[in-house]
Amino acid sequence: MDFSSVKAMLDSKSYEKVADVCDNLMLQVAADGIAYQDDWPYAIHLLAHIYVHDINSARFLWKSIPSSIKESQPEVTAVWKIGQKLWLRDYAGVHEEIRGFDWTQDLQGLVAAFSELYTKEMFQLLLSAYSTISIKDTALFLGMNEDDATNYVLQQGWTVDPASRMLIVKKQPVVTEQKLDHSKLQRLTEYVFHLEH
Amino acid sequence: MDPLEALVAQIQGLSSTSSDVNRLHSILKQADDSLRSESTRLFPLLTQLDPSIHSLGFLYILEASMIGPVTKTQAETAVPTVASFIGACSKEQIRLAPDKFLSVCKRLKDQVILLEAPIRGVAPLFTALRKLQVSSEHLTPLHSEFLLLCLLSKCYKTGLSVLDDDVFEVDHPRDLFLYCYYGGMICIGHKRFQKALDLLHNVVTAPMPTINAIAVEAYKKYILVSLIRNGQFSISLPKYSSSAAQRNLKNFCLPYVELANSYSTGKVAELEAYVKTNAEKFESDNNLGLVKQVVSSMYKRNIQRLTQTYLTLSLQDIASTVQLNSPKEAEMHVLQMIQDGEIYATINQKDGMVRFLEDPEQYKTCEMIEHIDSSIQRIMALSRKLTAMDEQISCDQLYLSKAGRERQRYDFDDFDVPQKFNI
Repeated sequence: MDFSSVKAMLDSKSYEKVADVCDNLMLQVAADGIAYQDDWPYAIHLLAHIYVHDINSARFLWKSIPSSIKESQPEVTAVWKIGQKLWLRDYAGVHEEIRGFDWTQDLQGLVAAFSELYTKEMFQLLLSAYSTISIKDTALFLGMNEDDATNYVLQQGWTVDPASRMLIVKKQPVVTEQKLDHSKLQRLTEYVFHLEH
Repeated sequence: MDPLEALVAQIQGLSSTSSDVNRLHSILKQADDSLRSESTRLFPLLTQLDPSIHSLGFLYILEASMIGPVTKTQAETAVPTVASFIGACSKEQIRLAPDKFLSVCKRLKDQVILLEAPIRGVAPLFTALRKLQVSSEHLTPLHSEFLLLCLLSKCYKTGLSVLDDDVFEVDHPRDLFLYCYYGGMICIGHKRFQKALDLLHNVVTAPMPTINAIAVEAYKKYILVSLIRNGQFSISLPKYSSSAAQRNLKNFCLPYVELANSYSTGKVAELEAYVKTNAEKFESDNNLGLVKQVVSSMYKRNIQRLTQTYLTLSLQDIASTVQLNSPKEAEMHVLQMIQDGEIYATINQKDGMVRFLEDPEQYKTCEMIEHIDSSIQRIMALSRKLTAMDEQISCDQLYLSKAGRERQRYDFDDFDVPQKFNI
C-alpha cells in the first residue's frame, strides 16, 4: 500500500486534509481487494477525523476497526480515548488523554497541533460562555496549571478578582465583514421589485 | 469456429464507432440467451477484452457469467473484476444497456455482502452511479444500494456526498423510498437531524397505494428525529400524503406515538420510566440509541423554554426546574448548548447565575447576505421547475382525460369540457 499521499499531508502540516485523503485511500485499497486492516494507520486516521471536529466519523471508524487491532495497538485505543472524552464533553479529560500517552514519532506532530487547536477553542468557548469563572475551572478547561492558565488569560485582557479567586472575562469585539458590494444590493433590489410587480 | 469465440471477435471488431457499437448491441441482444446457457464458460473469456474499449460486450458477457449462485471463493475472484470494470468502462456504452449494468452492480453488492466486506463495494458503486446518472438530479436504482453499503461498512461520511444532490427524476418509487430511508439513517449518524427529517418526511408522505415496510420503519425514526430536532411531533400528516399513510402508519408505530405523547408533558422522569418499560420494543427495532437521544434532548428543550421566560436565572433554579442533580450539571448543560449555538447566554460563576441573551445575528454581514441570496436563487429555480412540471401535466393526455371525465360527473351543467376529452 502506498501511504505517500498521507505522509505528504502530514509533512506539510495540512492536517485538515488528512482525514479525506485517508478515507479515499481506504475505499480505494478496499475496492482493489487488498487486505489493508493490519497495516492501516488507524491512529492517524482517527485523530485526523478528530482534528476536523468530525467525532461522528471517528466513532464509525472506531467501530469498524477489528478487535485484534484494538488489542494489539495501544496507540489506536489511546487516540479513541481522546475522541470519547470529546464525545462526552469531558473538557478537562481531553487534555489528560493527550498527556497520558507516549505518542510515537508519526503521531507527535498531529497530536501537538490538535492540542494547540483544542486549547484555543476552549479559550474561545470560555470567552463566549462566561462572564466570570473560577481560576480552577479555567485551568481545567485550558489543560494548564492554575498559574499558567491565569497568565494565559491575563494576556488576553482578563482580570482577577482577588477576593473571590475569580477571573473576570473580557469580551473581545467580534469583527465581521459588513461591506457590501453594489452588485449584491442591486440583486436584492431586483428580487423585491420582482415580487412587488 | 466456436460461437463464443466468434462473438468475442465481433465484440473486438465492433467497439470503436457509435454505429458499430449499435450494431454490436443488436448482435449481443440476440446472443443473450445462448450466453446465459453457457454461463459457466464465460468468465475466462473476459481476459480477451479490454473493459474500457469493449465496454458493452464486456458488460453482456460479465452479466451472463454472474447469473448463477456463487460461493465465497467465486465471489473472491469476481469482485475485483467487476470493480475494475466499473472503474474502466465507457459510460456511453454502458448506458445503452442500463439493465445489464444495474444487474452487474447489484450482484457486486450481493457478493461483497456475502464476503462480509461491504467496504469493498463502496467506491465501485459510487463510480457506477455517477456513470449511470444523466444528471445529478437523477436518482438511479444504484443510489440506495450505495447507501446500504455505506451503512454496512460504516462509511457514513462517504454516503453524505450523494445526499446533497437535489433529486427530481426517479426511475422507480422503491428507489426513492429506500434512498430516503437509508439517507435518513446516514444523516442521523452524523447528527444532521434537519436533513434526516426532510428525507424521512419524503418517505412517509410519498404516494403509496398500500402501506409498505420501509414507510413504517421510516415513520418510527421520523417521530424520534422530529422530537430531537423540533421538540414536538404532530400526529397528523400533511394533506398531500397518501390516505393509506394517513390512516394506517400510526397504528404500526404505537409505542413511538405514545413516546411522543409522554415527551409533550415535559417531564423527564415520566419519559425515562416509559422508555425503561418499553426498552425491549425499541431495542428490537434498533432504535434504542435514538430513543436515548430523545430523552437527553428533553433537558435541552426545557432549558430553551426557560430562555423565553427569564432574562437571568440561577444555576440552582435551572437545575431544579429541569430536574438535574446539581447546579454544576446545569452549568455543563448550558455550556454545551452555548457551544452548539443552541442558546445565547453567559454564565456568571461568581454569582451562580446565567444571563440569557438575544441572538446576536443582525443579518447584515456579507456572509448572511450571501446565504440569503443563494436561498432565493434556489427557491427561484425550484419555482421554475414546478411551473414547467405543471405545464407538462396540464398537457398530458391521460391526466386530461381523467380530469375531464371527473369534471363532467360532478358538474352536469358545465359544458365547457371539450368533446375530445370524453374518451
